[in-house]
Amino acid sequence: MAGNSAGISRRSLLQGMAAGAGALAAGPFLGAGSAWAAREKELNILCWEGYNSAQVLDPFRSKTGATVKAESLTNDPTMINRLRAGEISTWDLINVNNPWARKVMLPEKLIKPLPKAEFEPFFAKMLPEFKWPYKWAMSEDGNDLLGMVQRFGPYSFVVNTDKISRKTAEETGWDLFNDPALAGKYGILESDDWNVFNLFVVAGIDPFKVHTPEEMAKFGETAKRVFKGAKLIGDIASMNQALISGEIDLHLTGGTYSVSPARADGHPNLRAITPLKGPLAGGKGGISWIEVTSTVNNPNLSPLALEFLKYVQAPDVAHTVAFAEGTFNPVAQMGNPDCFKLFTKEELDAIQWDSLEEEMARSVEYDIVPDYDKALDIMNAAKRLRG
Amino acid sequence: MADIALARAPETAREIRHARRLSVGAKCAMPVAVLLGIGFLAPMVAILAYSFATPRSFDVFRSFTLENFAGLFDPANTVWLSFAWSVGFALFTVAILAVVAYPIAYGLNAVFGRWAGLISVLFVFPLFVSENVRLYGWVLFFIKNGVLDGTLRWLGFSGGPEVLYTPGVTLFGMAYTYLPFMLFPMTLGLALVPRDLVDAARDLGAGRLLIWREIELPLAMPGILIGMLLTFVLAVGATAEAKILGGQSIIVISHDIEIAFTYSQNWPLGSALAVVVSVFIAALTLVALSKLDLDRMLGRR
Repeated sequence: MAGNSAGISRRSLLQGMAAGAGALAAGPFLGAGSAWAAREKELNILCWEGYNSAQVLDPFRSKTGATVKAESLTNDPTMINRLRAGEISTWDLINVNNPWARKVMLPEKLIKPLPKAEFEPFFAKMLPEFKWPYKWAMSEDGNDLLGMVQRFGPYSFVVNTDKISRKTAEETGWDLFNDPALAGKYGILESDDWNVFNLFVVAGIDPFKVHTPEEMAKFGETAKRVFKGAKLIGDIASMNQALISGEIDLHLTGGTYSVSPARADGHPNLRAITPLKGPLAGGKGGISWIEVTSTVNNPNLSPLALEFLKYVQAPDVAHTVAFAEGTFNPVAQMGNPDCFKLFTKEELDAIQWDSLEEEMARSVEYDIVPDYDKALDIMNAAKRLRG
Repeated sequence: MADIALARAPETAREIRHARRLSVGAKCAMPVAVLLGIGFLAPMVAILAYSFATPRSFDVFRSFTLENFAGLFDPANTVWLSFAWSVGFALFTVAILAVVAYPIAYGLNAVFGRWAGLISVLFVFPLFVSENVRLYGWVLFFIKNGVLDGTLRWLGFSGGPEVLYTPGVTLFGMAYTYLPFMLFPMTLGLALVPRDLVDAARDLGAGRLLIWREIELPLAMPGILIGMLLTFVLAVGATAEAKILGGQSIIVISHDIEIAFTYSQNWPLGSALAVVVSVFIAALTLVALSKLDLDRMLGRR
């Protein structure tokens, strides 16, 4: 009996320890449970670089006393797949390029519409091209408002105008990358979705349609040649560094988003170029992007999501978003004189404000390539042949 | 007393049950052990499961196909190029580091004396700085109008060599990054060589080369081989050097895996690639370790 009682006491001790360990292990989840119940004080944002900066988030944090987390990724499909993979109950806001909200995320129920009455007035103060009902902010049937627009810009290629004049670059356009004399003098930005678009354009093909086997073959040949001729492939910092040092004279895939930090840093000779003409719809020469920020179809959406979307519309915050660390961009809110006057001459120069309107007019808007997966596989294979 | 009790084989059923029970210490360690076990296994199970899922889907555990692997082994697929480059880079890195690290390891043991500690710290110190930052530092060193080019021009030369964005500079970056991983096991290996043996051999008339070949090298071999294995395994998975210094002049296998998980959003393909690479490295490590009799080399037998 004595042995038994000793056993029981030892067992009960162990049981107690196990319960304690269980409670410890469950602790964070219990916390998550309570957060699940009330999310007034937390906001999670999935976004492109810039919205995750302290300059943008800190004032919102101190204003609301909320815990705001933002994760920045550098391509749209990855962000959307995070929602598809089950993170729909984690995120409150998703900030991606224009077509995804209306063409993919709404049909797949990954996002939910915004209250129109609350947000429509903001569009009246935006630049003229974003006036209500702005296509990319609305659902395909035009009934729902799917997100708010802010940053945008042309995105084709970047040149060092000391080596290739703006005039030559705009007139020659994408054929610069078909010129054997320029092999070894250009870089390629590591932005593979855009590289698919641009390699189609260099091959003289409109990217935003279903392609014939002949067009795909031409795309493959172009990809092999253009990748083989590239001096380097790298991120934005590497491209700007290589342009400034003189390692390269131009780089494929780039625009205000990528070159503005270098321009603001005292290198106005580096310039985003939108070709005068090209194989894109209507004979246009460039491609532009417009970010749309939507509320995720989170079953327990933070009420701060709508607050944040309104917060970034304020003239001073919109200016901060335009010049958040890392990348500088024009914003739709520049249509509001109160916002526009906050931009200095140097800032306007960094974002190429002088030619922004004409460059946007020469560009088609970012769209989805129907046979993107196939083209990407061809491009990845071409990239391997560089060595 | 306890030892004597334990030395007797358990006889009664109760004693056998008692002997099979985990010690209190093991029981207390169970939650942590389970947590660590899950942390180790969960990602592996997920990757393995994904590698059998329908391509470009997220149907993990709901679909089963060998399509991902069939695609990888399709002769038309050029992914083997990336794999070959990674293995080639790793082999060259190991070879270069074996030659570079040996004299330093020897010096740390036998030459540098009281400076050995400081010199070791100098080799460890770069590990406290992010690898990417160090590699970008090398870009600034090698880039046109950078440190090297600028200095050479200032000295009246025509400029620095054009080495950036080449496979050669990728290899340089890998040798630079993985030097400590070869150096320290090698230093420990050389520390295992008893001074007396070297002295005795010398007294018996052995020359430097003979001492090195017959005494130093075999006795230091465990450290050298562990250094080589560690460096190889790390170097096969290296990406940053080929991306930052090499300007992606070469696409290495880990970069291919990264592309599959990001731009391609083909997690099953990325997982299949990761499985193939992991199996290759694991098999290689196991073969190497089975050939190495660590106990004998460490002098335990």
